[in-house]
Amino acid sequence: MRIIGHPDQEVETNLRGAGIGLTVSEARSIADILGRDPTLPELFNYDTMWSEHCSYKSSRATLQEFLHTTGPNVVQGPEEDAGIVAIDDTWCVVIAHESHNHPSQILPNEGAATGIGGIVRDVNCMGAKVVATADPLRFGDPNGPDANHVRWVAEGVVDGIWQYGNALGVPVMAGDVVFDDSFDTNCLVNVVAIGVVKRDEIIKSKAPPGAGEKGYDVILIGKPTDSSGFGGVTFASEALRAEDEDANRGAIQIPDPFLKNDLFKANQDLFEMTRSEGITIGFKDLGGGGFTCASSEMGASAGYGMDLDLDLVHRAGDLPPEVIGCAETQERFLLICPPEMTPRALKIYNEDWDLPNVYESARASVVGKMTTNGRYITRHKGRETCNVPIEHLTGGIRYQREEKPRKMHHMEPAIEVPQDLSQVLLRVLASPNTSSREHVYRYYDTEVQGNSVIRPGEADAGLIAPVRGERFGIALSVDSNPFYGRISPYWAGATAVAEAMRNVASIGAVPWTMTDCLNFGNPEKPEAFWEFREAVRGLSDAAKALWLKGHQDAPVPIVSGNVSFYNESPKGTVDPSPVIACVGLIDDVGDAVTMNLKEPGNNIFLIGPRFDELGGSDYYRTVCGATGANVPKVRFDQERKMIHTTIDSIAWGFVVSAHDISNGGLGATAAEMALTGKADLGMVLALDRAGSSRLGTDRLIFSESSGFLLECRAGAEEDLAGLMKERGLDLMRLGAVKDAPELVMTRKDKKVVCLDLEAARKAWTGGLVEAMR
Amino acid sequence: MKVAVIQFPGSNCEHETLVAARSAGLEGEIFRWNRPAEELCDFDGYMIPGGFSYQDRLRAGAIASKEPVMETLKEEAGEGKPVLGICNGFQILVESGMLPGLDGVDAALAQNVMVTKGEIVRRGFYCAWTTLRHDAVAGRCSGSYLIEKGSLIDMPMAHAEGNLVTADENLIEKLNEENQVVFRYCDTGGETGNEFPVNVNGSVENIAGICNPEGNVLGMMPHPERSSFAWQLPFVDPAARRQIDTPGPGRLIFESMRRYIEVSR
Repeated sequence: MRIIGHPDQEVETNLRGAGIGLTVSEARSIADILGRDPTLPELFNYDTMWSEHCSYKSSRATLQEFLHTTGPNVVQGPEEDAGIVAIDDTWCVVIAHESHNHPSQILPNEGAATGIGGIVRDVNCMGAKVVATADPLRFGDPNGPDANHVRWVAEGVVDGIWQYGNALGVPVMAGDVVFDDSFDTNCLVNVVAIGVVKRDEIIKSKAPPGAGEKGYDVILIGKPTDSSGFGGVTFASEALRAEDEDANRGAIQIPDPFLKNDLFKANQDLFEMTRSEGITIGFKDLGGGGFTCASSEMGASAGYGMDLDLDLVHRAGDLPPEVIGCAETQERFLLICPPEMTPRALKIYNEDWDLPNVYESARASVVGKMTTNGRYITRHKGRETCNVPIEHLTGGIRYQREEKPRKMHHMEPAIEVPQDLSQVLLRVLASPNTSSREHVYRYYDTEVQGNSVIRPGEADAGLIAPVRGERFGIALSVDSNPFYGRISPYWAGATAVAEAMRNVASIGAVPWTMTDCLNFGNPEKPEAFWEFREAVRGLSDAAKALWLKGHQDAPVPIVSGNVSFYNESPKGTVDPSPVIACVGLIDDVGDAVTMNLKEPGNNIFLIGPRFDELGGSDYYRTVCGATGANVPKVRFDQERKMIHTTIDSIAWGFVVSAHDISNGGLGATAAEMALTGKADLGMVLALDRAGSSRLGTDRLIFSESSGFLLECRAGAEEDLAGLMKERGLDLMRLGAVKDAPELVMTRKDKKVVCLDLEAARKAWTGGLVEAMR
Repeated sequence: MKVAVIQFPGSNCEHETLVAARSAGLEGEIFRWNRPAEELCDFDGYMIPGGFSYQDRLRAGAIASKEPVMETLKEEAGEGKPVLGICNGFQILVESGMLPGLDGVDAALAQNVMVTKGEIVRRGFYCAWTTLRHDAVAGRCSGSYLIEKGSLIDMPMAHAEGNLVTADENLIEKLNEENQVVFRYCDTGGETGNEFPVNVNGSVENIAGICNPEGNVLGMMPHPERSSFAWQLPFVDPAARRQIDTPGPGRLIFESMRRYIEVSR
């Protein structure tokens, strides 16, 4: 393409005409480095590698400034496809977190399915067995002006997740669904995957030592390359516009769980062969940026070059070189191995697991060699189509974006305490965001692999025992509240961390590592970039203050994550959504507790007093449709003490049920404990001690200030009280479990809530069905 | 006593099925579909695990049922060796005609249709723990050989097509007459109410599992391998969960097959 010596306007026209997103100055800088005009395939390669999605060009500086990615348990931070932390001396947990927002808005089913497909590859390619996923989902207002479309997107996304995840055979152990009108034209589909691997069996996603000198083979494995997903990362790095919808559709990938299932089993055989023979390989999945991204990153991270023949790439039809390089065809991996291993590797895929017969034209093919010259070279039909310095291609560029606080005018609504608080609690329980998630999680196979110990709906976090014969368990939870983000991105970041940690602590697991998926608007707009920085600052402060239990001042490490910008359309930007996934560790799954009430007569305690913090609450939304201003804050010292002490009180057997307080406040939390499981036990709670005597009763019931409700084992009350006192926490006895199906709350000896559990169950389980009908 | 867990492209429960079989004292291995089919003859029993064989193309189980390995399996079953099909394995057995094993292929496992008070409340995939009532007498069927009639067993179901339907209305009657209905979905008291969620997938007469007339081939939609250890059960007492080897109710299915092999040898 002509760049050198041509005016900006002409270059701009040529770039846009070719469908390349690079700016004119970016294109000129490439021509400068090459000392000539770049070829079209070269420009596409740069466009891909320098996209926001692949290069993190707007976010990297902020992430490096704030995030804590190291720690005593970290085996591998965010430098490869997935992060890794140690469980014990032998086992590690592998975790990755991605977004698939734009594609899911356009084609919900395929978009969401591809999200799972991509994230499980990221975990698998580290040599790990993928053992669980989680799906944090954000949809628009199901009763708003775009209701029909919102419901269509929501249904399609859930279908895509179950159709892919169930067929692949990975259980969904956590997730959440939040409806908020800022997502009317921009849904968020985040997905988390975790795996387990032995520490000495981790496979690196870069070329192994000696690969260049010994001319290792580069082998492409999986589905035949087609044009699907061409331009995918560029599409993900722009705002959505309705008029582009048809063009964007072509940028969405087509996933195939069936082929993936077969590939995973073949990968397992490959890993076992290399381990038993002591061969070091490089192995990486092809995700955003396709073949170009995976190959160049594998070469560059080891300091080598590569010489690749695109004619050897198995593909569906005749494709131009830039499409072979940059299409995002799903279900592919790249292997770098010594040539003497190549025939056996090909046999595993092409004969043992019979890829060509399982899926038309799928196979493993040798496509090139590693070199030592530091050049990224591709050839097509006898011509050299790309020859660039590999580190320049993968190095990307950095932008220091401007930030400016968003002007906001949030006010507290004026509400009188409602007369019938039982009725209000019923409405909150039936609201789209507080109601039971059962309607959705029953679509997910939460049992496959047979490792499930605590499933969605039984507690605040899911729990699996992923290694047979071992007693340890891995807990998983996700959180982020967009309504808090609307008021304060900083507190949205901090509360997301705190709540995700509280969730795993509620079953007795220790928050052990986290991932972040940061969903924001256009970073070229200073307000959106400010929101991003504030949220990262908030989550980073929380990760540090709520340190790793047993390692004072060592932040809970964030070992993997993703940044998704440009979540906006002409109708506006999404509420700031820093989504956190927290992995918890429990030494013995036998010690974990669920949230359902266990025994009539057991005492119910509260830790975490109620404050006037109803900004962004479900109560405000339900009674007056307002957002409010007093967003819940994280009182860092108190929060850490609550989380760590709850874990200890479960481990030592004092607490038999626990549930953290979030959406819908104390009222919804208590109701959920009664409604989970058999739902034949109720509670009587006196609210007088739950917070300041000046707080209105509605505020005591619905404030979303952080805290826990704990059901104490009979006879352990003094032990529990002693422990809390020693840790400087105020343990408030609210009442007891009652052998009757009703939830009663009193204040100053007057009944303020009396809820029949049968009616409550109807409201609570029906809310989400109604929102997604 | 050695069993083959037959793996098709798209199977996804073979590992936990093998673990459950081993926990019941059986030896076994995973048998890949493209191995020489005659090697199948060396085994004493067979399991077809759950999953989405061949992506449920055409119909769930339809393509796998035409694999050469299935011909050999039919011959071995004809010798009286036990076969257990779980979920997709049940679908494959029905597609192959091995179940219900009466003349011709007369039944199919159709899409779940959940009905409450005469209204369809949901369709398709559903995953939940269920209670099964064992409606055959002990000794009738290889996979429930040790289970007394009327026993209640908890295990999860997870499928989109488990709704047993028949073109010929008399077939169900015949299945009942021949004592081929092995498991039915029921409530915790053993009552087989016909409405969702007790009848979790809309299956005719709450049928969850059937055997062939000879009783050596059993197909069932719910997953006994996910209920073979006490710690796998929801809301289980933590004390039971701490004993890592305490059996769960689903293990009876695998122990039954073991006993069947012992007595039939």
